[in-house]
Amino acid sequence: MDSGPDDEMLLAAVAGRDMGAFRALYERHAGWLAIRLSRRCNDRDLVADAVQDTFVAVWQKPRGFRGEGDIAAWLWGIAIRRLVSRLRTRGGVAAVSGHPGVAPAAEDQVLLSVEYGDIGQALARLSPEMRAVIQAVVLDGLSAREAAHLLHVPVSSVKTRLYRARAHLRAALAEGSS
Amino acid sequence: MTGWHLDDDMLRRYVERADSLAEGASAEQHLLSCEPCRARVGAAAGGTGLSVIDFAAVWDRTRDAVEVPRPSVFERLLRGAGLPAQEARLVAVASAFRGVWLAGVAAVLAFAALAAAFGHARGVWVFLSVAPVVPCLVVASSYDPWMDPALEPELVTPYPVLRLILLRTIAVLALALPAVLLVGLVVPGETAFAWLLPAAGFVAVVLAASTWVSPLRSAIAVSSAWLAAIWLLAARSGAPDAVLQARAQAGFLALAAASFAIFLVRRRRLRQLRTWR
Repeated sequence: MDSGPDDEMLLAAVAGRDMGAFRALYERHAGWLAIRLSRRCNDRDLVADAVQDTFVAVWQKPRGFRGEGDIAAWLWGIAIRRLVSRLRTRGGVAAVSGHPGVAPAAEDQVLLSVEYGDIGQALARLSPEMRAVIQAVVLDGLSAREAAHLLHVPVSSVKTRLYRARAHLRAALAEGSS
Repeated sequence: MTGWHLDDDMLRRYVERADSLAEGASAEQHLLSCEPCRARVGAAAGGTGLSVIDFAAVWDRTRDAVEVPRPSVFERLLRGAGLPAQEARLVAVASAFRGVWLAGVAAVLAFAALAAAFGHARGVWVFLSVAPVVPCLVVASSYDPWMDPALEPELVTPYPVLRLILLRTIAVLALALPAVLLVGLVVPGETAFAWLLPAAGFVAVVLAASTWVSPLRSAIAVSSAWLAAIWLLAARSGAPDAVLQARAQAGFLALAAASFAIFLVRRRRLRQLRTWR
């Protein structure tokens, strides 16, 4: 790994309107941000727009980072919300979350259940809709309203699915431990 | 530091979305705090036929977006006044704010004021015939689609047209009024301010009429009517008193109020903005 300037130094340089530092920040973070965003939304154009919006927002407000935690986490917080707002303005675009196609091979699943135990299996048994809600609300920390825009469902559905998913997980875990 | 990192298999599954929710979640949590793993994911995103997005193109667009010229002074003023950035841009792109337009308006007014200052009664007439119609012409051009092609795509987006037009009207007046007032100071006597109420009335008439016809057409019609009326008056009495009388001024006030009421009642018809062409 190249040990260039760290993210905070780059961000400080961006605040000083340094286009080179901005480029470096983009090179460093656009890749994983795009991968993670594309796991939330299948529309590549929307993902590209969200990545662009994210870095434009960083350029405009580099001091939005308050020095708490990782810059990567701060960037992701911006990116997922940019994606949500892109979805909101474009409307009608299905944001399919969940995991299309490729089913894990049998031995992978065995490995997984070893590695993650009950919780992994319980999560794997959730319906795709419920997993999407868990992902948006629990893992990405979105509000119910933001999750509703991301998943293109009413807010009330987000809440019921979340409630059901939690109940399901609780039951599955209780069953496993007894 | 646990020394734990994404192994190559996990990384591949993560990038190809062939992982489970639990595995993906722990990968994502790890990525937030591990720069080397982020770099590996980034490298995987760039290469090997996956091409999630076109990173070079997105970078070009991002750079273009941040390199657009700084917002104009006027736009920053609007933002300072508490308008969200997007609305400030919408209001400020009105063609009326382009320098040429303002220069033209200023030249006409200056001409009228000079005529008023040096040309006695005739000059006052010129000023009285020009000053009251300038605001309504400027307002009309600030939202007429023919003058302002930029308005077209804006109206396609779900943006309250009424709000846009009122914001622009206010912004235009805030710009145009001080200029016209300044010029008015050169004009002797009450005439300097007698045009204010007619001007308000005409702006309201244009707003109301634009629920039927295009704003620019209605502004031109109003201006022509006013010019004709002024010329008739000048021909008949030879003195500008009639316009300055309290009764006439009250009439203009009533005209302004009535037209504005009509505009508000019929504001839904403003959607026709797009079909005028």
